[in-house]
Amino acid sequence: MAGFPTYNAALLYELEEQASSVLTEFAQKHYSRVEPAVLQPAEIFLERSGEEIRRRTFAFTDPSGHELCLRPELTIPVCRMHVEQGGKFPARLCYNGLVFRHQPSEPERPTQFYQAGAELLGFPNEEAGDIEILSLAVESLRAAGLAGFDMRIGDIGLFATLINALEVPVQWRARLKRHFWRAGYFEDLVARLSQGKPSERQQLFAHLGTLPEAEARAAFEGLLDVQGGQIQGGRSREEIIDRLIEQAAEAAAVRLDPRIADTLTRFLAVTGPAHAAFADIRALSRSLNGKLDKEVAALETRVAALEKLNVDPANITFTARFGRNMEYYTGFVFEFWSRDSEGEVQVAGGGRYDNLLENFGAPMGTPAVGFVIRTERLLAARRETGKRV
Amino acid sequence: MLTLAIPSKGRLQEQVAEYFADAGLPIKKSGARGYSAAIAGQPDIDVRLLSASEISAALIEGDIHLGVTGEDLMREASPSLDGLVTLIAPLGFGYANVVVAVPEAWIDVTTMHDLDDVCAAFAQRHKRRLRIATKYVHLTRAFFARQGIADYRIVESSGATEGAPASGSAEAIVDITTTGATLAANGLKIVEDGTILESQAQLAASLTASWNAVARTAADTLLSRIAAREKAKSSQVIRVRLNGKAESILAALASTGTTILSRSGDDYALVCPRKSLMAAISVLKANGSGAATVEEVDYLFEPSNALYAKIEAALRQA
Repeated sequence: MAGFPTYNAALLYELEEQASSVLTEFAQKHYSRVEPAVLQPAEIFLERSGEEIRRRTFAFTDPSGHELCLRPELTIPVCRMHVEQGGKFPARLCYNGLVFRHQPSEPERPTQFYQAGAELLGFPNEEAGDIEILSLAVESLRAAGLAGFDMRIGDIGLFATLINALEVPVQWRARLKRHFWRAGYFEDLVARLSQGKPSERQQLFAHLGTLPEAEARAAFEGLLDVQGGQIQGGRSREEIIDRLIEQAAEAAAVRLDPRIADTLTRFLAVTGPAHAAFADIRALSRSLNGKLDKEVAALETRVAALEKLNVDPANITFTARFGRNMEYYTGFVFEFWSRDSEGEVQVAGGGRYDNLLENFGAPMGTPAVGFVIRTERLLAARRETGKRV
Repeated sequence: MLTLAIPSKGRLQEQVAEYFADAGLPIKKSGARGYSAAIAGQPDIDVRLLSASEISAALIEGDIHLGVTGEDLMREASPSLDGLVTLIAPLGFGYANVVVAVPEAWIDVTTMHDLDDVCAAFAQRHKRRLRIATKYVHLTRAFFARQGIADYRIVESSGATEGAPASGSAEAIVDITTTGATLAANGLKIVEDGTILESQAQLAASLTASWNAVARTAADTLLSRIAAREKAKSSQVIRVRLNGKAESILAALASTGTTILSRSGDDYALVCPRKSLMAAISVLKANGSGAATVEEVDYLFEPSNALYAKIEAALRQA
């Protein structure tokens, strides 16, 4: 059964030999090996990963009534373990362990596989941290025997910076940031934002939006008394009024300038070899008083570091809308791609996630960056690319 | 043997029994406990009485050949229904919409885009996700994913879902409704573009069941009666002399959907969709036909059996 992997002696030997090369590389760079529990409290995965990961998490209730799951990945358990055990920062941690994914719509995909990864936690220098993790990823893939690879990189923070630099209503701002990596959704949003005709309700809101906040608040309090039913669930009256005031302010603001819509569309269309793509972003930045220059420079530093490691920049693709579809990433993100017998396959990936550790009680904004290798895929890619030599 | 499952209780059972009886297929309960039944004159059909959700599962598993159940239950039971079950005929009852509903007090929410904003703001403010109570876990997940909403979580409900926001166990719900009255009574309103599925009772065929020759023949017979009765209910027969102008009159009638049932010389029997009867009569009159009579018929058997053909086509694809 393809979905339920078994490991015979030959496969175990190959996997362990490969893991040993990777872990040796981690150890040489002073990353300490840890192993969190296979069974994890389900809550944090469900809260931080959203319904998409939840759908693929084996979650269940134990006989005492606790919500548990088989760990669907290792970054969250490693971070939690470190904070809860009172670990110090910065910390360099690594692991090689099984993770479990329910594959409801693709039964041929494995329900368990190994992830070997490293996490750099609480390291204050963002640039040095990103480069350390990038280098470790490149070197451990090479140590495992992968001859060549392509890279895809992106920066979730870059889009947020762009949005903040534009005159966009605050609620749209949040919405755009949430959905920027979704293809059709974004175009639809820009179209509605720039062309939408105001309804009567919006016109009323636009009027209220011009009032001082206290007056608008009183007006909405009245509206809620007349139109609204009882407050139910965990969303308070105050929250509803707050959002009505935001909506009013938004309705009162001018519609989205077509030039801004154009800038957004141009930005999200940027994709290609890193240096050419960065030139495109710089060109955009010039029309925004250079507001993206700092971010582009940061990306260039990371690519320069890769070049120093003899990674050909022609094989590094930067995509503006590339955001790894895991909800805790906040900044620079990257993927390593190779090929197995069936075609292109992602063998490793990672990025920066600066707001996960605080969930476990670390100080707000404790920075973190890490990556993970999909070990079975790496093995398959080594077999395939080795064959061609 | 062909196995047909029908709902074992409630209003749905009565409506299904009426539907089959109306098509000349009266269902007679047999067995002491009343969980099996037979159709008079159809010895090759084994009728089972199951709950509507058991019928959905049995269709997907291939434990029965045909079944009557709600489309909502089938779509919830399998995310990839189309390769497993084929819907043969909507039955015109058992209407229920699966909808997203929020408290009426949320006067800032009318669309799913609003709900998206609220979900995100809620997660930021409360450091936990907004909860949606539902029995329709799969339908909800797929719909929210299509809407691009991720900041929520599902609370599975087994009982009265509409009470979840009032009891504080969820902020919003996904549930079925026919008139919206129950939702309104619980202080909830439907999100404008939050209708996930417009469902009704369906006669459906399992594509995973073993369809041997006996089952196929029995299904053909059963469905030809249902098709004939359906056609009779939706049509009327016009008897008319076309006064030698058959060609031009029939051409003029084409737009009304009228077709020829039979003819004898210049005397025609035409089948006309019930809703375009008066339009057809006007066309006849304007084009110089003779006097016309209109008849109701009990059954209208056509040479081909369109309902059974759906099963054959789906089985070939599966």
